[in-house]
Amino acid sequence: MPATQKPMRYGHTEGHTDVCFDDSGSCIVTCGRDGDVRIWKDLDDDDPKSINVGEKAYSCALRNGRLVTAVSNNTVQVHTFPEGAPDGILTRFTTNANHVVFNRDGTKVAAGSGDFLIKIVDVTDSGQQKTLRGHDAPVLSLAFDPKDVFVASASCDGCVRVWQISDQTCAVSWPLLQKCNDVINAKSICRLAWQPGSGKLLAVPVEKSVKLYRRETWSNQFDLSDGSISQSLNVVTWSPCGRYVAAGSTNGLIVVWDVEAKACVERVKHEKGYTVCGLAWHPTCGRISYTDAQGNLGLLENVCEPSEKVSGSKVPSSVEKEYDDLFDGDDKGDAGGFLDDNAVGISSFPRGITNDEDDDDLMVASGHPRQRNHILEDDENSVDGAGLKSGLLREEEEDHTGNLRGLPPAASQRPLWDGPRPTPRQRPFQPGSTPAYLTHRFMVWNSVGIIRCYNDEQDNAIDVEFHDTSVHHATHLANSLNYTVADLSHEAILLACESMDDLASKLHCLHFSSWDSSKEWMVDMPPNEDIEAICLGQGWAAAATSALLLRLFTIGGVQKEVLSLPGPVVSLAGHGEQLFVVYHRGTGFDGDQCLGVQLLELGKKKRQILRGEPLPLTRRAHLTWVGFSAEGTPCYVDSEGCVRMLNRGLDNAWTPVCDTREHCKGKSDHYWVVGIHEHPQQLRCIPCKGSRFPPTLPRPAVAVLPFKLPYCQTASEKGQMEEQFWRSLLFHNHLDYLAENGYEYDESTKNQAVKEQQELLMKMLALSCKLEREFRCVELADLMTQNAVNLAIKYASRSRKLILLAVEKAAELAATEAEEEEEEEEEEDFRQKLSAGHSRTATEWGQPRLRNQVEEDAEDSGADEMEENPEPHRHGQNSFSKSASASDVPAVKSGAVTPGSQGRVNPFKVLANSKEPAPAMNPPRSTNILDSMSRLPRKPSAPHRAAGSEKSPVIKPLLPRPKSKQASAASYFQKRAAQADQPSGVKAEDPTPTHTTSPAPAAPTSPKTGFQMWLEENRSNILSDNPDFSDEADIIKEGMSRFRVLSAEERKEWTNKAKAGAVGDGGKAKKRKHGADGSHDAESQEEAAKENLNLPKKQKSLDLSANQKLSAFAFKQE
Amino acid sequence: MDAAEVEFLAEKELVTIIPNFSLDKIYLIGGDLGPFDPGLPVDVPLWLAVSLKQRQKCRLLPPAWMDVEKLEKMRDRERQEETFTPVPSPYYMELTKLLLSHAADNIPRADAVRTLVKDLWDTRMAKLRVSADSFVRQQEAHAKLDNLTLLEISTGGAFLTAALRHMHKLRSGPRPPETAASQDL
Repeated sequence: MPATQKPMRYGHTEGHTDVCFDDSGSCIVTCGRDGDVRIWKDLDDDDPKSINVGEKAYSCALRNGRLVTAVSNNTVQVHTFPEGAPDGILTRFTTNANHVVFNRDGTKVAAGSGDFLIKIVDVTDSGQQKTLRGHDAPVLSLAFDPKDVFVASASCDGCVRVWQISDQTCAVSWPLLQKCNDVINAKSICRLAWQPGSGKLLAVPVEKSVKLYRRETWSNQFDLSDGSISQSLNVVTWSPCGRYVAAGSTNGLIVVWDVEAKACVERVKHEKGYTVCGLAWHPTCGRISYTDAQGNLGLLENVCEPSEKVSGSKVPSSVEKEYDDLFDGDDKGDAGGFLDDNAVGISSFPRGITNDEDDDDLMVASGHPRQRNHILEDDENSVDGAGLKSGLLREEEEDHTGNLRGLPPAASQRPLWDGPRPTPRQRPFQPGSTPAYLTHRFMVWNSVGIIRCYNDEQDNAIDVEFHDTSVHHATHLANSLNYTVADLSHEAILLACESMDDLASKLHCLHFSSWDSSKEWMVDMPPNEDIEAICLGQGWAAAATSALLLRLFTIGGVQKEVLSLPGPVVSLAGHGEQLFVVYHRGTGFDGDQCLGVQLLELGKKKRQILRGEPLPLTRRAHLTWVGFSAEGTPCYVDSEGCVRMLNRGLDNAWTPVCDTREHCKGKSDHYWVVGIHEHPQQLRCIPCKGSRFPPTLPRPAVAVLPFKLPYCQTASEKGQMEEQFWRSLLFHNHLDYLAENGYEYDESTKNQAVKEQQELLMKMLALSCKLEREFRCVELADLMTQNAVNLAIKYASRSRKLILLAVEKAAELAATEAEEEEEEEEEEDFRQKLSAGHSRTATEWGQPRLRNQVEEDAEDSGADEMEENPEPHRHGQNSFSKSASASDVPAVKSGAVTPGSQGRVNPFKVLANSKEPAPAMNPPRSTNILDSMSRLPRKPSAPHRAAGSEKSPVIKPLLPRPKSKQASAASYFQKRAAQADQPSGVKAEDPTPTHTTSPAPAAPTSPKTGFQMWLEENRSNILSDNPDFSDEADIIKEGMSRFRVLSAEERKEWTNKAKAGAVGDGGKAKKRKHGADGSHDAESQEEAAKENLNLPKKQKSLDLSANQKLSAFAFKQE
Repeated sequence: MDAAEVEFLAEKELVTIIPNFSLDKIYLIGGDLGPFDPGLPVDVPLWLAVSLKQRQKCRLLPPAWMDVEKLEKMRDRERQEETFTPVPSPYYMELTKLLLSHAADNIPRADAVRTLVKDLWDTRMAKLRVSADSFVRQQEAHAKLDNLTLLEISTGGAFLTAALRHMHKLRSGPRPPETAASQDL
């Protein structure tokens, strides 16, 4: 019968230990690194008696009520046993003793020390000492000859010596061991032992075998070895009967040999494979207690005890007799007994002892299949009933071996297949739940509340708690039906259980928001159909079953549609009218899952948005959470912590929005997602230290993680802004969805989002400008809205970075969009603002003509008529009156005050349109007068007001501008840009001449302004005053400052003069215009060239930060 | 400054609560609070936390240091070292008292926390007394004490200064006669 290995238990703190039995064998005595000697009644003794003997105890020996210990204060002490009272010091060394042993009758103690000495001391009289000198290194172990003639010792010098006690000489010395410099470095502590009784044999553990030397001849009688020993042996001890030798190895193997038969009879492996450093045989019965180098104590029972029933009753008696024989020193033995014994020993190992499986057999034989199962966490195998069927055990053991040692053994039994292996399908789960096998678990944690389930001996209950107590109060339910899945919404609690025996699977709904008195309902599933996943939406509930059916119910319990699922369900999630179904599309390979997704809308018009598309997952990951953001966008999380969100703006593709693993501190930490909010952007999750899901207690707290799209180079400013921009777009897709589906939503949120996005685009544009990436600027401009494009153009022109290219392109873009009526209105607005504001400095060219004209027209009071007679507006009247009359007035005012307001309009459109008057000079091509009226009289209308309400502001805003060099420069540039654009604008306009028809108000563009005229007259003055002025620009500047000094009346006079001139020019207007255009172009080119020469300093001054501030400022003005 | 005033100051300390109601940001003179999302932790001043807790409107999350193991370490360190060790919060005593009296159900092992903080306090007060004693005995002119909290100063400070004043009077001997005369007047 095999020995029974009892589980190891904690004995001492980690470190070297020693063990022995007391004389009667009633208790085990151990000593250890903690300096305590513990007396154990048996292995299960929970309260062993402790005797503190010193700081560290290296070795102990017990005989005749005396406990001798070798302790760290270099002494060998005696304590009384079992009282534990100190009984003096036997001897001292210069360093600590490593091993102490008693002789057979307990009168002498031998101690071997680290100072190379061995002392033999009389216990009763410590004056009687004998010292054995000769070792050249610390002494490892000692063994007293039972006949008190010799002492054997092993030392770090590699020698095993036998000493004659009487004359303290060395009888023999064998160089058996490896040399080392100290005990701690010794490969083996080499606990040797004499055969009890006659002392005929000395057993010495040498590497992987036990060498037996015959007394007197000192010849190597034989070796005991075994194939299972893979590491060197540390300890050897004889059974009290002298028939067996037990040895413990440094890797925790304990082997017992029958010395007569030279056969191995037991092999026991330490459960953790620690070094066995103490081994003691019970004085009477077959027990071995052992300790390891980690301070644990273990016990083997029934070691070589031939008392098992299998062998019948005859054997024990013979063995007993033989035992007695042996004890008497008579080693003839009973051959029959030995045979029997051997037979018993070997019958425990009926199979070959040499191969690998032998080890496994041993494990079974040593009687711990159950324990091993536990270790392997393999709970499907229960070996209880199979105790004696070794064949069956063998098979199972082989399986375990497979599990334990990795693939090779298992693979050798399966057909070889190196290709991809199918992944087991993940089981259905409820989002926000923890595993069902836990006794305390979360059934749901979502944005509404928490459902917890307690399933222990006392109680099987469900606790429902709402985050917002105003939804409903917390509820406690008895879980008599053993519900396993649950969901929670603002309306109801939904629970479901699987079928049990004759009870069908049930769906149970607690509809607490119902206004009638019955607040719950329950539905039984048909036989053989189990509910696997459930979810709640607004006004409906859904359950997916094992029959691949998706059953829909109203929240009140009416059965609705039943759908077939394309595969076994993985999870369901509901939100509003949307139902999100994830199922297995097929079998995944190599750790991947193969999942499909359906997104259904169950509202009035039912439709399927996602029709079974594959659900992208991280490699080798499975799905851990599905759900909707609070705004209703489907999201899911996989086991690698990647959160993905449906990108409705990208035809319902999935975009990863967060990698929760990035935020984890430890490798085994995870975040357990409980909710996603798009506005504000929050990923709500529970940090779990060292696990995938949180425990119910202590109650976990929610943390909020930011989202981050996996864009490249997010460390750089560019990458960062790109990430922010696309994230902002993605996280506002839900607004479009809501709008499309007729939900209410906050308009301001959208505006804010748009503003944020445009701001980001502007910043990116500014960055690209700085890097002189003009093409990129144009690309960015493509992403912008109309307003932002205008700003961008303004920005570009101010920063002078983009030599018109980007601007022109953007203008084209803008022009193509400028087809709608309303946009034309905008253009009109712009013109007025433009004339009122920003470009005024460029007085000689282009726009300012308009102003003059406007003032003139204002007197015609065409505008008043327009406003009072809305009839002419055939279409777009509302929009017109809104945009033109309502927005014009403030726009003009603000235009007069701040040039920033220019950002609202599109300069390009205006530039294009500023040509309008030109074709308008031609005889009207349009037949529709009303049409033209609706448009053209508008022009004067607003300016009229502006001019009427405050005349001077028209000019006033000029005053501050040229003071700032930068501003004036910018405005020059603006003008230049505008000029350059004119031709394209004309082209763009030409194909649609129908717009511009009315001859009367569409006055020809005046070639000259008051300032120009004044300047012409005064040019000579300026030149004479400043002879160094060679530059036209300088002259103009000087002229402007002088002009401004003039009184308002004078200026007006000049203006009127100019107008008069213009009117007088009436007929030639068109030609002049062309001429003017040409000359202006030429001039502007000249100007540009000059500026390019003159202005790099200014350009530099406009560094990026300033530009960014500027653009931001412009936005704020909006 | 008395304990009530110190407590008042301590009530401005931020603590984390998990509200069970929903409320937009509230704008107060001392700063904006919220928004309050049910189930989502939010930092609020202690006074608001206590008030909400009393109305069962929130669950309190104990401060990170209010943990038995951490407090044990702190107490041991406090006992080992001669000088005052840094405390987890400048208002640890007040926070503990208020939180434990109003939200003991939200603090794991509240009793142990109470004992530990009391131990910490007692140790510190003992140190304070000892140092005040040696200060007086050695007739030092000044002493430096680091890591003292407001409450600790207010507990010992007033008494110590009053005592020093009296001692000064006693030590400076009999009053000059003029003063006595003036008193007579």
